[in-house]
Amino acid sequence: MSNAMNFAFMREEPAPPNGRRVAIIGAGPSGLAAAGYLGCLGYQVEVYDKLPKPGGLMLFGIPGHRIPADRIQRGVFTLSRKFGVNFHNKTKICCSAPLHEEEGDHFSCDIRGLGELVEDHDAVIICSGAWKSRKLGIPGEQLKGVYSGLEFLFPIRAVKYATSNVSVPPVEGRTVVVIGAGHSAMDVAHSAKALGAKRVVMVYRRTKKEAPAGSYEVDRLIDAGCEWLERRTPLRIVADETGQHVAAMEMADANTGETEVLPADVIVTSIGEIPTPPFQKELGLENVRKGEVRWLHMTSIENVFVAGDVLTGPSKIGKAVYSGLRAARSLTNWLDLKAQHRENEYNYDADVITRPGAPSEQR
Amino acid sequence: MSECHGRGKTLHIDYSKCIGCETCEAVCGFLYDTPRIAMARTNDGQMIPIYCQHCEHAHCMKVCNRGALMRDRDGAVVLQPMLCRGCETRNCVIACPYAAFFATDRGVAVRKCDLCAGRRAVGLGPACAEMCPCGAIRFADRDELDELETEASREARDRVLAHIRPKK
Ligand SMILES: Cc1cc2nc3c(=O)[nH]c(=O)nc-3n(C[C@H](O)[C@H](O)[C@H](O)COP(=O)(O)OP(=O)(O)OC[C@H]3O[C@@H](n4cnc5c(N)ncnc54)[C@H](O)[C@@H]3O)c2cc1C
Ligand code: SF4
Ligand code: SF4
Repeated sequence: MSNAMNFAFMREEPAPPNGRRVAIIGAGPSGLAAAGYLGCLGYQVEVYDKLPKPGGLMLFGIPGHRIPADRIQRGVFTLSRKFGVNFHNKTKICCSAPLHEEEGDHFSCDIRGLGELVEDHDAVIICSGAWKSRKLGIPGEQLKGVYSGLEFLFPIRAVKYATSNVSVPPVEGRTVVVIGAGHSAMDVAHSAKALGAKRVVMVYRRTKKEAPAGSYEVDRLIDAGCEWLERRTPLRIVADETGQHVAAMEMADANTGETEVLPADVIVTSIGEIPTPPFQKELGLENVRKGEVRWLHMTSIENVFVAGDVLTGPSKIGKAVYSGLRAARSLTNWLDLKAQHRENEYNYDADVITRPGAPSEQR
Repeated sequence: MSECHGRGKTLHIDYSKCIGCETCEAVCGFLYDTPRIAMARTNDGQMIPIYCQHCEHAHCMKVCNRGALMRDRDGAVVLQPMLCRGCETRNCVIACPYAAFFATDRGVAVRKCDLCAGRRAVGLGPACAEMCPCGAIRFADRDELDELETEASREARDRVLAHIRPKK
């Protein structure tokens, strides 16, 4: 068995070319799964990603000790060598929003419009993930030294691929406060430790038992030398004497009902991401989410499909993969029927119903 | 046909490499509608895939009095839906020491992993092993299982078994 995440798991060899071209925007797990499915069926697949390497958050978010990067890269290699998938890295598909808005934008050197892709391909799937970090909405969040989970983690991985315009957050010998208790908060804390932080304090508004990453993971952090403060709600981030940089955080302690001040050199708020699709409104994503569409995973622009975290909000690799596969299959059904002018025969209900126990589409 | 080459093949999950990402379950669900490998959440909040080990001395085979469970030539324990009548006893479900025989409300009312029988027939391996991002699932010869175990994998496996079979 080759040691690769085999996105083209449906076939050993691609089916003969069927003459159709599909563009996929975003090379995370959902986009790569869709690329593999379509590549197996003989589609010509073009994958666009703004980052220098395919993999999405599997490569640029989740630390390498949890997912071996070479396993992802070998899977990508198989897609490109054996299944003829073309990867256009460092290419951002342009949206109405200005550049340099999300993590990772500064890598793209080529920009192309969605409209252009729609013209040039039989269909497009948008798999651009959820990269904008949610804010706490408390005073002082704009201070230097305050990061979101992705702002903190992304450069640690990205610096390996291009050093000029990213820098790893300076934590060596400092006190790092991490807010949140999901997987990304755990990853931030472990990474801060690994980068030589003097003290890492986790702050969570509920209890260990309620931590989304599970109490086992919290215990592992504590074993690794991190501190765990539960039932604490951040109130305000306090600046140092220059007024520019973080110095401490004020929080309410639900155990005692008192306000405490926690000194901090770096604060990372890791409380989740929100989706940032190009052309959010034009695509009518709200309707796709609610299932008010005539075709599974198709947006309000004909031939444009959507899958993964950009549709569901932050989820998990498995859910993104499932969504990518379903969108790819829906797309092939659509193009097949359309080629025979039989679009209205499509049975949406038969396609959306996921059986009990099956991973649900939009969780 | 209950003979197979060597001691046959099976799946092996190294739980110390698993990050609980649900990809195995998702891919299985995509292929077969109802997944035959299923995520569970342990008391301490870890997500773990529960899977069939295609036991050499399979309890599920022993308790099925319809003979609906058979070993195929690769060593997989497969359910023959046409022999199974979905009997109310659900002996198979109860007998499995790994909680890997699932009850459903569809078809013959039970389902289990068949090591992707249809895929094996055309030379492919089980899809979960192909797609696991971490390489935690191996489609392995039973004879090489010992070599796959490490100290970390044994420890992680014990934690999972403690969840499946809690001490009374
Ligand atoms: C720190 C962290 C830890 C996590 N840990 C786990 C875990 O342990 N287990 C788990 O299952 N899940 C985990 N997740 C969640 C998981 O990574 C995501 O759910 C999954 O990667 C989503 O896949 P996706 O394909 O939808 O999007 P992504 O993986 O986000 O990929 C989207 C891709 O689209 C590209 N892109 C975006 N916009 C454009 C554009 N306009 N033009 C071109 N390209 C674009 C991006 O560069 C990116 O490569 C974690 C997430 C984070 C942040
Ligand atoms: S795909 Fe691999 S890492 Fe993910 S849950 Fe399954 S075994 Fe674990
Ligand atoms: S279903 Fe259970 S008892 Fe039967 S072979 Fe699989 S693990 Fe063993």
